[in-house]
Amino acid sequence: MAKYDLVIVGTGPGGYVCAIRAAQLGLTVAAVEDDRPGGVCLNWGCIPTKALLRNAEVVHLFEKAETFGITVQGMKVDYAAAVQRSRGVADRMAKGVEFLFRKNKITLVPGTGTLKSKNVVEVRGKDGLTTLEAGRAVILATGSEPRSLPGVAIDEKTVISSNGAVRNEARPKSIVVIGAGAVGVEFADVYRSYGVEVTLLEALPRIVPIEDEEVSTQLTRSLSRRGITIKTGVKVSAVKPMGASVVIETDGGRFEAEQVLMAVGRGARTKGIGLETIGVTLERGFVKVSPTMETSVKGVYAIGDMAGAPLLAHKAMAEGVVAAEAVAGKNPRPIDYGNVPSCTYCRPQVASIGLTEAKAKEGGREVAVGKFPFTASGKAVAMAETEGFVKVVADKKTGEILGAHIIGAEATEMIHEFAVGRTLEATVDEIMHTIHAHPTLSEAALEATMAALGHAIHI
Amino acid sequence: MAVTKVVMPKLSEQMEAGKVIKWLKKEGDRVQSGDILAEVETDKADVEMEAFGSGVLRKILVSAGDKAPVGALIGVIAEEGDDINAVVAQAGGGAPSAAASSASAKPAMADRPAAVGPQPKSEDHAERTPSPSKGPESPGIRRAQETVAQQPAVTEMAPRPQAPAAADGGRVKASPLARKIAAQSGVDLKLVHGSGPGGRIVRRDVEAAAAAPAAAAAPSAAAPSPALRPVTPTVTGPEYEDVALSTMRAAIAKRMPLSKAPVPHFYVTSEVAMDRAWELREELNGLEGQPKISVNDLVIRTCALTLLHHPGVNASFQGESIRVFHRVHMGIAVALEEGLITPVLRDAHAKTLAQIAVEARDLAERARQRKLRTQELSGATFSISNLGMFDVRDFSAIINPPEGAILAVGSVRKVPVVTDEGLGVGRRMAMTISCDHRVMDGAMGARFLQDVKRLLEEPLRLLV
Repeated sequence: MAKYDLVIVGTGPGGYVCAIRAAQLGLTVAAVEDDRPGGVCLNWGCIPTKALLRNAEVVHLFEKAETFGITVQGMKVDYAAAVQRSRGVADRMAKGVEFLFRKNKITLVPGTGTLKSKNVVEVRGKDGLTTLEAGRAVILATGSEPRSLPGVAIDEKTVISSNGAVRNEARPKSIVVIGAGAVGVEFADVYRSYGVEVTLLEALPRIVPIEDEEVSTQLTRSLSRRGITIKTGVKVSAVKPMGASVVIETDGGRFEAEQVLMAVGRGARTKGIGLETIGVTLERGFVKVSPTMETSVKGVYAIGDMAGAPLLAHKAMAEGVVAAEAVAGKNPRPIDYGNVPSCTYCRPQVASIGLTEAKAKEGGREVAVGKFPFTASGKAVAMAETEGFVKVVADKKTGEILGAHIIGAEATEMIHEFAVGRTLEATVDEIMHTIHAHPTLSEAALEATMAALGHAIHI
Repeated sequence: MAVTKVVMPKLSEQMEAGKVIKWLKKEGDRVQSGDILAEVETDKADVEMEAFGSGVLRKILVSAGDKAPVGALIGVIAEEGDDINAVVAQAGGGAPSAAASSASAKPAMADRPAAVGPQPKSEDHAERTPSPSKGPESPGIRRAQETVAQQPAVTEMAPRPQAPAAADGGRVKASPLARKIAAQSGVDLKLVHGSGPGGRIVRRDVEAAAAAPAAAAAPSAAAPSPALRPVTPTVTGPEYEDVALSTMRAAIAKRMPLSKAPVPHFYVTSEVAMDRAWELREELNGLEGQPKISVNDLVIRTCALTLLHHPGVNASFQGESIRVFHRVHMGIAVALEEGLITPVLRDAHAKTLAQIAVEARDLAERARQRKLRTQELSGATFSISNLGMFDVRDFSAIINPPEGAILAVGSVRKVPVVTDEGLGVGRRMAMTISCDHRVMDGAMGARFLQDVKRLLEEPLRLLV
């Protein structure tokens, strides 16, 4: 039985970051993985979809080449090539993790890990069973998988999940995307850019429902303009594959398409890893953890998607660091779950942090709101990317930045100004007194902040 | 690999030495840059000391409990194979670790008097007293003055309130949001303990301070003193123990001689017949809707009015001049559990007895809750320290520079008095004024005290 200080089950963004941090702190680490290192994020999620979205963006730029006085003739787009490029990107990133493991002397154990006791993990690999003993702790980082609706089976052919969407080299002529969260909206964007007829269905009253309402309104307008059919507030009652097509019955009508993409959320992977054996407590399908990521069983930690919302790679990475430092006897700073940025990489991009205007008001705060449209930004106009705005929600009394909401080009890069600000407990005054380079899109963040104070310059 | 010298950090501007409370790493431990190596005690706060390099903590040169001057080598971080002999030798003369720790630490303390404010180093000992010794036109002195003024006014026991988050004399590490909330809720950041990175005061600290219950208050005079609890006498066990100085106590020990030694004190004591004042107070306190008046409120009002007629007592030594104040800002000593703090009742001479009673109570209350604003702790022109509630007959106080005098007030006692009719019972109260002889002379102090006495004995004057 091989013995390590730390045995990590799963090498997604939570697991691999945890492994590296633990190794940095001098612990010996074994990491168990039943796929390639990097998990869903690197192989099937964040990274390959970003590659596809970049393709979609390039297509879009070619399409509006006329705007820049460039004539493109005989343009052909090859969707299979886009998927292949995306696979190449994922492959490269996974190799990167393998390299980091070697560099940090982390033992990668291929196979499926199951807890036999609180410090013994059995790994079922191609070559049989391996048993790993953890001297200090076991860290569970098995992630999540796409969920479906009751009674709807995902075959990854006509009824697909993001797993199929990211692999399938053939694009359908038409697709119905069920669920307008980040995953649904991003694939709707990719497919639409490649000429697919896209219908986006959302059970809640608006798309990207966790975002600020004004962002949803703006995104609805932008996506509709691009020819995506959007139906919100519709409940799907049945998904019926009919040979070459699939019929979706809802309380808002009947839809038919070549494929349907189920983007109704993800569920924690908690089955078959021995949680019941050692009595780890679950809460609403997720593993219950302490602020240092320890489960109800001492010495067993859980991080990432399986440890609860938000199901985001960067939150998993942060938890991986906390868990590694806790195991190494450090005193890690607990994660501030109220300060995790949320990003959707559709076009225009959506990024936010903190409270929406509605949530801030619900919380009883008296708020000052500032908004600045990219139509008034010199850089955005020069780039011909004028969709969207920056919205700042501040506490009227203290100037605390309660939330920031950006929709527009490079929104996901711009959100960190507010993330750093909030971490340092900066107020609108500090943002206002920070000179922003001109011309940049980030000036819109400054102007929105000044608008919250009642004196934006450029609107 | 680089050898990282661990030196005693300068954690405040006037810090000259620090005490290692404990090492959180031991020799041979691997440390990362940013790890907390040790806890260091300064006169103001206990501060965590970070490692600025990574490697192995090879040597500890100052052991827990020992002091070292600022900048002194207290440890060495290096890789296993690195030669650190040269570095160690440079610091402690190559002495073995244990010997080096005590050898390098103790003499370095050098019993130097610590500067009170961030005053220029070139000033000699005499000029480093809290009272600036040059004319007010000198910018250096103005600066020193400002520094002194910024310091909370305190009396003989507490040099200044513990300022856990003030890493150096003036700057408080606090987030912008924490500052705003503090300003809005009247929380003095100097009194707030920072829980953020590096002791930074963040929002939650200020909110906690603002919500802090009055439970933090000092024990009231009515509470039974521990001395009254029975103690079983013992003749076995150790004969004594040495209790380490708390930071506040160490600061008191450091600063008080800076008043007592360079300021030539003289004392004048007088006894006041408090019968009429007592009656007046009872009568006032019987009125509905009026704030309760304490004996100390009467003394504050009396002194404030009297000082207007004795400006020479309401004065401060300024080196080449004496600054005579036209307004009376009264420092009122308030006992805290860990020492004593002196909030300032501003323009006491222009306030009625009721106003004084309300304000003094509010200041005392907030002093105990540590909610005073900085400006409420500075700028006194005269102070009163009243130990009456402890059944003290009389005592003398140490002047809080740059003030020129302080009045120490004892209890109001019932004593036998000789009257025209024979022997009676009267209420008497002793007061002792401590005066800075550089500012005034004995007769001035005595005349002032005489007028205080007269006014207290004709207390109706306090009402007009």
